[in-house]
Amino acid sequence: MASRFFRSASDSESESESSDNESFISDEELSSDEEEMESDDDLKKDDQPKKNRFLKGGSDSEDSDEEGGRRQIKSQKDKRYEEMEACVKSIENGERINDWTLISNEFEKLNKLMTKAQAGINGIVTPKFYIKCLVELEDFLQEAAQKEKAAKKKMNANNAKAMNAMKQKLKKNNKTHEDKIAQYRQDPDSIEDPVVPVVTKAAKKKNAFLADSDSEDDSAAASSSAAQEVDDGFTTVGKGGKAVVEITPENLLQKLREVLEARGKKSTDRNEQITILQRLLKDASSPYQKIKVLLTLISSRFDANVSMSGYMQVELWRSVEKEINQLLEIFETNKQFYVHENADDFDDEDKDVVPEAGQTIAIRGSLISYVERLDDEFTKSLQSIDPHTTDYIDRMRDEATLYAILVRSQAYFESYKLNGSVGRVIMRRLEHVYFKPEQVISQLELSTKNMLPSNINSSIITAEDPAELVHQLCTFLYQQDVSVLRTRAMLCHIYHHALHQRFHVARDMLLMSHLQETIHQADVPTQILYNRVMVQLGLCAFRDGLIKESHSCLQEIQGSGRPKELLAQGVQMQRYGQPVAAEQEQLERQRQLPFHMHINLELLECVYHTCSMLLEIPAQAQAGPNNKKVISKTFRRLLDYNERQAFLGPPENIRDHIMGAAKALASGEWEKSRDLIMAIKIWDLMPNTQDIKDMLARKIQEEGLRTYLFTYASYYSTIGLAQLSQMFDLSVVNVSSIVAKMIWQEELSASLDQVTQCVVLHQVEQSRVQQLALQFADKAVNLVEQNERLLEQKNTEQRPEQQQQQKDRRGNKGQQGNQQNRNAVSGQRTFQQRTGGRNNFNNVFGNAVRGGRTQSARR
Amino acid sequence: MASKHDLTLRMIPFLDRHLVFPLLDFLTLNEVYASQDLLKAKHELLSNTNMVDFVLKLYQEIHNTEEVPKEFAEKKEKVLAQLEEFQNQTQNVIEVIENPEVIAALRQDKLQNLSFLKENYNITDNQILSLYDYGQLQFNCGNYGGAADMLYHFRVLSTDSERNFSALWGKLAAEILTGNWDVALEEMQRLRDVIDQKSFSSPLQQLQQRTWLIHWSLFVFFNHPKGRDGIVDMLFTSQYINTIQTSCPWILRYLTTAVVTNKRRKTYIKELVKVIQQESYEYQDPITQFIEALYVHFDFEGAQQKLKECEEVLSNDFFLVAAREDFMENARQFISETYCRIHQKIDVKELSQTLNLSQEEGEKWIVDLIRDTRVDAKIDFEENTVIMNTPITSVYQQVIERTKGLSFKSQVFASAIEKREAAAAATATTAEAL
Repeated sequence: MASRFFRSASDSESESESSDNESFISDEELSSDEEEMESDDDLKKDDQPKKNRFLKGGSDSEDSDEEGGRRQIKSQKDKRYEEMEACVKSIENGERINDWTLISNEFEKLNKLMTKAQAGINGIVTPKFYIKCLVELEDFLQEAAQKEKAAKKKMNANNAKAMNAMKQKLKKNNKTHEDKIAQYRQDPDSIEDPVVPVVTKAAKKKNAFLADSDSEDDSAAASSSAAQEVDDGFTTVGKGGKAVVEITPENLLQKLREVLEARGKKSTDRNEQITILQRLLKDASSPYQKIKVLLTLISSRFDANVSMSGYMQVELWRSVEKEINQLLEIFETNKQFYVHENADDFDDEDKDVVPEAGQTIAIRGSLISYVERLDDEFTKSLQSIDPHTTDYIDRMRDEATLYAILVRSQAYFESYKLNGSVGRVIMRRLEHVYFKPEQVISQLELSTKNMLPSNINSSIITAEDPAELVHQLCTFLYQQDVSVLRTRAMLCHIYHHALHQRFHVARDMLLMSHLQETIHQADVPTQILYNRVMVQLGLCAFRDGLIKESHSCLQEIQGSGRPKELLAQGVQMQRYGQPVAAEQEQLERQRQLPFHMHINLELLECVYHTCSMLLEIPAQAQAGPNNKKVISKTFRRLLDYNERQAFLGPPENIRDHIMGAAKALASGEWEKSRDLIMAIKIWDLMPNTQDIKDMLARKIQEEGLRTYLFTYASYYSTIGLAQLSQMFDLSVVNVSSIVAKMIWQEELSASLDQVTQCVVLHQVEQSRVQQLALQFADKAVNLVEQNERLLEQKNTEQRPEQQQQQKDRRGNKGQQGNQQNRNAVSGQRTFQQRTGGRNNFNNVFGNAVRGGRTQSARR
Repeated sequence: MASKHDLTLRMIPFLDRHLVFPLLDFLTLNEVYASQDLLKAKHELLSNTNMVDFVLKLYQEIHNTEEVPKEFAEKKEKVLAQLEEFQNQTQNVIEVIENPEVIAALRQDKLQNLSFLKENYNITDNQILSLYDYGQLQFNCGNYGGAADMLYHFRVLSTDSERNFSALWGKLAAEILTGNWDVALEEMQRLRDVIDQKSFSSPLQQLQQRTWLIHWSLFVFFNHPKGRDGIVDMLFTSQYINTIQTSCPWILRYLTTAVVTNKRRKTYIKELVKVIQQESYEYQDPITQFIEALYVHFDFEGAQQKLKECEEVLSNDFFLVAAREDFMENARQFISETYCRIHQKIDVKELSQTLNLSQEEGEKWIVDLIRDTRVDAKIDFEENTVIMNTPITSVYQQVIERTKGLSFKSQVFASAIEKREAAAAATATTAEAL
């Protein structure tokens, strides 16, 4: 191809006789470059014959065109140019209005003109504007295609068809002009418009040209070899391979700049670049050079991975990790350099920089982004590796080194007081730590300590004890300006507390932070974290035997029926035949947590259902058969389903066990219920399994007693406390305390007889009319409450306007207070409605607008 | 035992030096701690104040000497000099202010007053400021009455809101220390209003102010005849209950005592139980445990035991010592009320035992109880039992009970709508007018 192009170029050259010397040389150079790119053969040999041909051709055309006709040719050429330019213009117009039919037609026309113009002896060199048009079209097409994908509204069918056709055509066409385009992209000015008709000078020029032709040849060859040596080194080195000039400390930075300039260009081979940079690194001697090369090398390594979904190769990752370590080491030993995002681009003029004593030099770059990227890539790789293979475990081993880098870079940022970066790196560190048990954290810290040189130490984080460590990390983040960091730190802290069985501390922190009010506005990863925190809090409450609290924590996540998605431990399945949009799925996949961070979903379900059972069964027994108060919807549904089954086999999975237990509990057989619950194997996943089982057994006894009393109260007039205590294997004191509580709370209409030690039950059979009357009264109360709520809502809607009007500070503040209170109250009420007012914990949630308690209170 | 439940240590950070002094005095009286330690504590406490003579006495007591160290004499001289200086400075202002003509001329508007005084009597801002300083000095010297006067005058005249605020605190402390409970109660109310309405730079600061106020108010509430109503009213407002939960859960003891000894306790007891339960992981003492045993676990024996412990705790608490009798009486009533509500037939002997009374006393007590609280009960002398007639609320009554509040609610509702409409109309008219 190049040769044809070359020839035509030379033809036009001679034909017009217009080009002055310079342009000719540039062309020559260009062509020789082309040649080199084409073949790896020896340049000179290959060049020689071509040059000759060129010369010959040149002289030939010279002869034939010697006599007249020049004017005519010129005008014809001009005409063609004009026509072509018109085409280009209309293509540009088409681009502007996104009309692909027009573009397509005009492009066709342009190509026809082009072939006509180039055909035959009068052919012209491909003009610059043609190449430019091609390049622009290509770019525009790409852009349009992307837009098309993203856009919701498709363009009309004709247009789309034309666009696709255009794509094909352009692809085919561009192949022919590949190298020109590449060249143009590199440097738009490199292609000279050969057609500068200067007629008057032509004759003189021609002679000069002819006379010079031999030397020209030489100089062309010389210039091409010079090009190899002096500049444009990238292409030479890139393709030529052998022809690399050795790197000296003097020209190292120059080389580096060349690599940098080539970065991101289409024709650049990324791997090639990396090898060059590696070689550069080997030869770099001064710290400045090393830093510069490393910065480039690390970013080009990250560049090597283009696709969005794929993860970085593990080897590549490890080498980056090594290089970052190297970089940090340099900074640790050479305190006079540091990297800063906002540093002025240091103009070194390709010379090595040696700082004077006491002078510090800021180099532009962002170490924090490298570290973060490294961490991200690590997470990505864990997301895609199958967690059940040894690969995953192998990969997990790298976490220690990654953590070490985090610690190390943190020390670096601290020493240069780059506060923003310190916050970010500490956040990363916290995210590696918060979900781990204390032993694991201590291990990690220990191995980090061994891995790092001993002079690395931080002034912010000094703790050895894991709990203290997390506390320090979080406390530091609370002082950051960025609210996202604060929120996330808070959540991590709560999670950590909950994981380590400090329920009250965790709960208080959650309540103080008021996160539950604003979490809906947070970004998705933070919401996921919040969900994780809630679940962990629920599990913690369960381990402590706080059934109600546990249930209300888990309710929102588990009750929704899709805990997998909410905790980012699995992707949304197709629902109701609606396929999930590919992009959304992609996004969701990116958010997935790596396997080792997962919360066991089965355990979660088991805990949730057990809590539901312990709350729901007595409540159902109390309210009678037509009970509309539902504590846990999912549980109720499962129970109903289970009851409708005609035949029931022995329990197989966790659900079966719990359902069986629930039914046994409802009929007063607490022992059977307990045995079924105890048979669930998953309890073994919890620490202190025996304690939890004991706690559950006790709860089942108590709830069994309550259920029994509710269910069978109407059949007794008195029950002996001793008998109850025997039936449920509880002490008499315990039984009487439970019964007393029920009486006090007016759940059971009965009283105790102290003398005979029995429960006397008062029969209150209500007639139908009485029942209805009571229901009616309830409904009336409800109605009034509904109305009040409606009014409140309207008032709060109006409030913002009023607030603006009242500039009096006092009034303003009072109002805000009111509003807050009201919100809190209404929040509480809705909650009561939802959970039937039994939910003490959530009342606390709603209630506790603990005025003074803010995040800062804990600092 | 007594020191285990002693709260003085926890409360000291939230009190003024001068206010701590009576607490320490009380501890000395009760011999909870070694008296030598307490003496030292007192000395340390007051050595920064200007009560030189008193400190000197303490010093002599600690070191068992009669000699007077030189520094004391020097300090005394200095303080006296300062006092004199300030007295001269403020003389003028005081005279002017106490002039009946001036009093008659003073108005509500402070700025106007100020300019009036400036014009007619040549009083400068600095002079007014010196009132404040003089008040502070007097307070430091232990002359609380004088301090209160000075601060009162200062507050009337000054427009400096920050200083006014601290003058309020000073006045309250001075009134507490002079035992002027009526005035102190007033001052406290004022202070509370200011704290609630003032916009603090951070919520933390407000929290701190409230914590202080709660601690100081204990002096007033447990000494003022109407204080126990006041403390319940104040501490159950949401801001203050939050403050207690956040920064000083030990105040629950005082709140509990106040509720138990309060006549209108029924409405509060539920809320109190909730708070106590919630905070039980953070703070527990026999008094809260008593409530917990009675209302959470319905463990009457446990409650009885706790009640015994309560007695001791109460008699060792500076604030509650006066309320001890009341508390014991009311707590007994609590137990028996709850007991009666749950039981149908009670053995008098056992009940008296539970109440820590002899059988005869118990019988008398029950009769009193039946008479006072109108419990529907009879004593069966033959079996020696009390038989409770548990009233079964009829459905009719239940319906009434449930719908009782509705008409009132609707009324409020209607007036709220009216108000809203009026407000809307008002804004509409102003908009038109504009």
